[in-house]
Amino acid sequence: MALTFGALTRPRSESEVREPSRHRTIGLSVAAVGLALATISLINSIVAGDLARQAVSADQVGSLGAWSFGLTTAAFATVKLAIGLILLGIVRRIWLRVESVKASLPGLIRARASDTAPLGEFESDFGPATATATAPRPLLIHRLAGLMWAPMLAMGVMLVHAGLLLSFVVAGNVAADPALASSQRAWVQGLQFLGEGLLLSGISFLLGTILGAIRAGGGEVQESLGLTVRTLRMPLTARLFIALMMVGFMVEIAQFVGYAYIATIPGTADYTVFSTWLGPLRELGLGTLLSGIVLALATIARALGFQFARISQIITSGR
Amino acid sequence: MSASFRPDFNVELSSRALGPNVPQRIGRLLWAPMLVMAVMAFPLGLAIGIARANLVATGGDAAMIAALGHLGPAAMFVGFAAVFAAISFAIARILGVLRAGGGQVQEAAGRRVQTLRMPPTAWAFIGLMAMAMMVILAGVAGNVVVGASIAGGSTDLLAQSDGWAIWFEGVRRIGVALYLVAIALGLATIIEALRFQAIRLRELPAESAD
Repeated sequence: MALTFGALTRPRSESEVREPSRHRTIGLSVAAVGLALATISLINSIVAGDLARQAVSADQVGSLGAWSFGLTTAAFATVKLAIGLILLGIVRRIWLRVESVKASLPGLIRARASDTAPLGEFESDFGPATATATAPRPLLIHRLAGLMWAPMLAMGVMLVHAGLLLSFVVAGNVAADPALASSQRAWVQGLQFLGEGLLLSGISFLLGTILGAIRAGGGEVQESLGLTVRTLRMPLTARLFIALMMVGFMVEIAQFVGYAYIATIPGTADYTVFSTWLGPLRELGLGTLLSGIVLALATIARALGFQFARISQIITSGR
Repeated sequence: MSASFRPDFNVELSSRALGPNVPQRIGRLLWAPMLVMAVMAFPLGLAIGIARANLVATGGDAAMIAALGHLGPAAMFVGFAAVFAAISFAIARILGVLRAGGGQVQEAAGRRVQTLRMPPTAWAFIGLMAMAMMVILAGVAGNVVVGASIAGGSTDLLAQSDGWAIWFEGVRRIGVALYLVAIALGLATIIEALRFQAIRLRELPAESAD
């Protein structure tokens, strides 16, 4: 399994270097589909809002609202899947860039140092770093990220679309069987937001895979030249990213459990009370996951900055 | 500095590395404040939701329940607008590192520095991001105005509260979709920058050093 995912993230042939990224093209096309779905949902909301303001038919408004919710969430999931595809393209491009650095760097070194740099911990311009004789092993979180991004994205897409199908069923039941519709609506919300949480976790794992590729690629290049391998240590932003991702995902599991519970008590006062705070809770979970993603991106910027500085150092000093 | 058109990329030529451009410098400055704003807004949205649930459970004032039904999503979506802005700024920061770092490497090697000009996806990223931010904040402003008016005693708006809520929800949702597409465009720009770098690196050994 890990071998298969490895083939997805690391190109086998360097011939791809010049070719435009297919992941980029496909990802942007999928994102456009997501935006089109969201536009349909917007039109639906305008119609439903107008009907509600005129107090025409509560059943009709409820029916429109049911499938509109399902469709909007599916639209968001579609764009998130697109983001995942583009991130996969970034991972592949990072490896192609590593191959380019390996191929070109020996011809660019302007000075050859006779001595080797000292090993051990040191403080770089980008934070604490280590110097070792060989490339460091991948961190546990990077190995985990490489294994988990694909199942997370796949499960997320499945749950969101299962919720979308159920939302169409809810729309048909609003007038005929309100209690059943309430129960099913709870399942729709729980399933779709768990799916959204899985998708954002998949994106987070892809960002972790990018960080792993930057670290491993940097080590490979330095080791291949017989140089001291300098590696940035995991910065605070990366640690906070992992923590926020875990907390956000746990909140999404909690909201799913909450919705699964209220699905058993439709039409009761408790149903109304629980659904009033479960809505903000599920959004808090997504917000937490997104906050983690911000920190992952900040970590990528730092790691790339360290890498550029290291390449320039190798070129000018040869050590 | 001069503009040069390679057949494959639109680049700027210079003898020294170029620093990050204005959007990238803004990204470097603003990603953290936006994240802090988001981290403050999300718990506020949850707290309002819990307060509203408490009012529902205890049979509280209908007007206040309706008002909080507008103010809670407003707080939550201030958080989403901020966190999406933080993501966008962090992407701009990465693009800035790629632009400046790529130039530094070429300069260190003593070669003419080629810097990728902003591709169409980068312009679309910035435009869509600004549009998405305005759309979400328009929805939020609508929620705040209606929520505050209901809390202030407007019976007309109380009667139409659900309809307004559905409209504003639709507006906020399309804003989120636009933001997500903007982020996809920003990430697509990173792919293009990496492709240029991989190709440019392979060209350097064959060029003569200055």
